[in-house]
Amino acid sequence: MGLDTTRYEARRRIRGSVALTSILAAFAVLVVYLYPSIAESSADIDALIQAFPESVRQGLGIEAYSSIEGFVAAELYQFLWILLLGLYMAYTAGGAFAGDIESKRLYLVLATPISRARLLVEKTLALLTPLVVLNLVLPLVVFGTTILIDYPIDPAYLLAVHAVSIPYHLVCLGIGQVLSIAFSRGNTAQLGGIAIIFLLFLLDSVTAGTDYEWLGRVSPTRYVDPTEVLLEETIRIGDAVFLLAVALLLLFASLLVFQSRDV
Amino acid sequence: MATVEVQGLTKRYGETLANDHLEFAVERGEIFGYLGPNGSGKSTTIRQLLGFHAPTEGTATVLGADVRDEAALQSVKDRIGFLPGEPAFDGSVTGAEFLDYHARLKGDPRREELLGLFTPPLDRKIREYSTGNKQMLGIVQAFMHDPDLVVMDEPTSGLDPLKQEAFNRFLRGERDDGKTVFFSSHVLGEVRRVCDRVGIIRQGRLITVENVEELLQRGGKRIRIHTDTPLRAADLDLDGIVEFETEGREVQFTFTGDYDVLFDELTTHHVIDVEIEEPPIEEVFLHFYGDEHGT
Repeated sequence: MGLDTTRYEARRRIRGSVALTSILAAFAVLVVYLYPSIAESSADIDALIQAFPESVRQGLGIEAYSSIEGFVAAELYQFLWILLLGLYMAYTAGGAFAGDIESKRLYLVLATPISRARLLVEKTLALLTPLVVLNLVLPLVVFGTTILIDYPIDPAYLLAVHAVSIPYHLVCLGIGQVLSIAFSRGNTAQLGGIAIIFLLFLLDSVTAGTDYEWLGRVSPTRYVDPTEVLLEETIRIGDAVFLLAVALLLLFASLLVFQSRDV
Repeated sequence: MATVEVQGLTKRYGETLANDHLEFAVERGEIFGYLGPNGSGKSTTIRQLLGFHAPTEGTATVLGADVRDEAALQSVKDRIGFLPGEPAFDGSVTGAEFLDYHARLKGDPRREELLGLFTPPLDRKIREYSTGNKQMLGIVQAFMHDPDLVVMDEPTSGLDPLKQEAFNRFLRGERDDGKTVFFSSHVLGEVRRVCDRVGIIRQGRLITVENVEELLQRGGKRIRIHTDTPLRAADLDLDGIVEFETEGREVQFTFTGDYDVLFDELTTHHVIDVEIEEPPIEEVFLHFYGDEHGT
């Protein structure tokens, strides 16, 4: 039995993953193509940005539009990659088990000689399908487009942004997964996952630069910052490792719940 | 050792006692019917036998494995087939892809043979399947790995009568080859056609386990007679008549007695129409096991 469940489930997810990747890639191309007109406009956009409240700048990761790195980080990575893809991962993971439990689809599989632990791990691996496809395609698209417009971005730091955001997306997936296994209703788990990720993002954003900044430490978004990587070329390995540990903890928690519950 | 041994199996969901100290055994090579009205706790038992739900108290062994021991149960699952009443599939794959996946999990030595008998459109996506086709796909996956025990939860909904009969014949053949079948149903007629013994469950409690013939004797038939002149209860003073009701010139009762006696008696009346049918299962319980088990 070599990852049969992963292969079966991943194949089902491949179409959605390709569709999602196409949309995000198209959006990335559009964003990058807009950049020259902003860079060459006479308006002092950076001065405007500095006038934004701290929480807005931090929350949206907008630091400077005068460089392609700052622009791509803010427009593409902070919003689309971190927030939207984070929500998507939680949403997808939320449906993975709850939907199967609710519809009783899981029974046919659980009646076969596969352990619950193995089933959980294999299904989780299949949930990585969109993440794998996106991380393979998107850096190439972004890098290629920045070359086309003649504002090439540093490929090393571009890859680094993708690398450090993987643990973050795994945490989002883990949150959705725990909900998915704890609740037997697909909708509850999916919407719950979206709500939690979004609220944590908000918490991180609104507390940024205030006396309550420490509150944002519970949000996974606090530990990943594309702007910092691309613009300031700072990579916090510790934060990435921390997120990875949390993701594993969430996987372990969902395993414990799944082992002990009636399905 | 019996193929399935249920020992004091109890399942409580909050305040609801779904299975109450069940005690019975299913022997190798028999088709055991598990009969009870909807909501009586049949599926709960099956979910515990397959390890989906954990017993609150008591236990059961399936092919020698304790259902509370996941590893033990897992080690015998390649010898178990499971057919849910309305099997739920992921609609986005084809029947063939689904069977391929299950073949990798548990094997499929009998797949082609079964596909000769049951013919779901394998190349089509399952979401396009009719209920009958889903049922046939369910049957194929339940038997294709040649299991020793097949557990079926209300298995025959959705099959057309011909396929139904083919399925019954197939089941009897499997039984004769030494397979054990555990078959839950709320339809008496379905159970009587294929089962050897029947366990009757009502409100989570096992009322009795008996041979099908005995059960049928006790269950009787629902008889409706339309006569020229109204019949009164006193006109039909025979053994085995219960729940006598009249409505104009029609009478209706449940009959467990001797048909010859009944028809002899009827020759003295002018009969316009007679209907004989299976009694609803709830009625069988009410009349023959009394109401002491609750309502």
